[in-house]
Amino acid sequence: MKKSLENIGKYYMLMCKVFQKPDKWNIFWKQFVVEAHKLIIDSIPIVSLISIFIGAVIVLQTANNLENPFIPKMYVGYMAKESLVLEFCSTMIALILAGKIGSNIASEIGSMRITEQIDAMDIMGVNSANYLILPKITASTVLSPLLMLTSLIIGLIGGALIIILTGVINLSQYVDGLQYSFKAYYIFYSMTKMAVFCFLITSISSYYGYYAKGGSLGVGRSSTKAIVVSSGLILVFNLILTKLML
Amino acid sequence: MIKIKDLYKSFDGKPVLKDISFEYRPGECSLIIGASGSGKTVLLKSLVGLVYPDKGEIWYDDKLFTKMNPAQQKEVHKEAGMLFQGSALFDFATVEENVMFPMDFFTDWSYEQKLDRANFCLKRVDILNSNDKYPSELSGGMQKRVGIARAIALNPKYLFCDEPNSGLDPNTSILIDRLIHEITREYNITTVINTHDMNSVLEIGDNIGFIHEGEILWRGNKEDILNSDCRELNGFVFASNMTQRLRKNIGK
Repeated sequence: MKKSLENIGKYYMLMCKVFQKPDKWNIFWKQFVVEAHKLIIDSIPIVSLISIFIGAVIVLQTANNLENPFIPKMYVGYMAKESLVLEFCSTMIALILAGKIGSNIASEIGSMRITEQIDAMDIMGVNSANYLILPKITASTVLSPLLMLTSLIIGLIGGALIIILTGVINLSQYVDGLQYSFKAYYIFYSMTKMAVFCFLITSISSYYGYYAKGGSLGVGRSSTKAIVVSSGLILVFNLILTKLML
Repeated sequence: MIKIKDLYKSFDGKPVLKDISFEYRPGECSLIIGASGSGKTVLLKSLVGLVYPDKGEIWYDDKLFTKMNPAQQKEVHKEAGMLFQGSALFDFATVEENVMFPMDFFTDWSYEQKLDRANFCLKRVDILNSNDKYPSELSGGMQKRVGIARAIALNPKYLFCDEPNSGLDPNTSILIDRLIHEITREYNITTVINTHDMNSVLEIGDNIGFIHEGEILWRGNKEDILNSDCRELNGFVFASNMTQRLRKNIGK
């Protein structure tokens, strides 16, 4: 309990250092572009791969479970869309990103800490937390909703592809289901969740990396902790946001 | 000039620095020497603000560093350069970008001006034709030289070196020592070096403080050190059989 409170306090102090005006805006924007590429653009292939298969699987499972002839087949498309929008494209993708970008951030910053590169920045008078962490947090928080939209589109395409390949239902029924009872607010809800989750992933992973100690083993430990804690908090915040927004 | 007065630091109730007072003058290489665990790294880290002392004062010229807020300390840091034990070059940047890093933050120079300055600093430390290399492509000695070039990029008033020779062969060590010494004299820098390398002590020790169990037990220069009566210092300096035989040969 004491350790948890200590961590929360240290995390808050670090965020106070992070959210300060950058020393030079041109350096910040340059880093923002670098991080956007590294954290978001580079994640598109893995997100696409997972989304296309999950979309296909959701359609197959739903079609197999809707055997009642009184339930229209278009509900397969409707349920696939709802599952993807409400839960998969934000929460599941965020959990995957916690592993991918969380470990990347914690090990990158952790290595810089143990090789004294962060100390070198501090001694130069550079706000190391602001320089290293702020571009990561802003890039991932601002751009991650686009990743959620990418996941949604590709997931729905995955569903369509499996219908074309297996013919479990007609493609037109699937498309009707996608258009049925469309709520734009659900997209907003999912994009908001994704932005919050990515804020948690980048800030928590940066925190564990920034305070890494104990050589390469310490970097490994901080990387593991970053993934575990951010995954846990994603689940907790998923519950909170769902209660608040739906 | 840097002055420390009655500096005290403890970790978990165990004192590491016990009321240390010392003076580091411009144009001199001031050495902090002592065995591992004696407190010299904590002293150096206190000087640069990476460790906060429990008591005591650190003065940078007429500015009381220990009473400054982070923004004021940042202004002092802009006048300081540091060479780290492992060089601490930024992995993500080339040699040229490493040297230009402090200029990017604290000057409004054009790219050409920064490049000129970086090339000047790199030439001063004899690093030529390596601007586009990454730190991982350099030898340990070259990394240290680039570290020095980065440290002097903004003409610092203060230079801090943590074990500048660790991991280097004796010839490269001497070259690095001489380079630090020359730069200190040339630019009238207040240089503080943390070392336990006896070659460095005898080569560039203008002003030496020997720390033992958190206290400064002896102070002097490279000429005095071989004739000291301090038992702990002699135990540190003449630790090996070879140095003890040398001591006998010089008649002490």
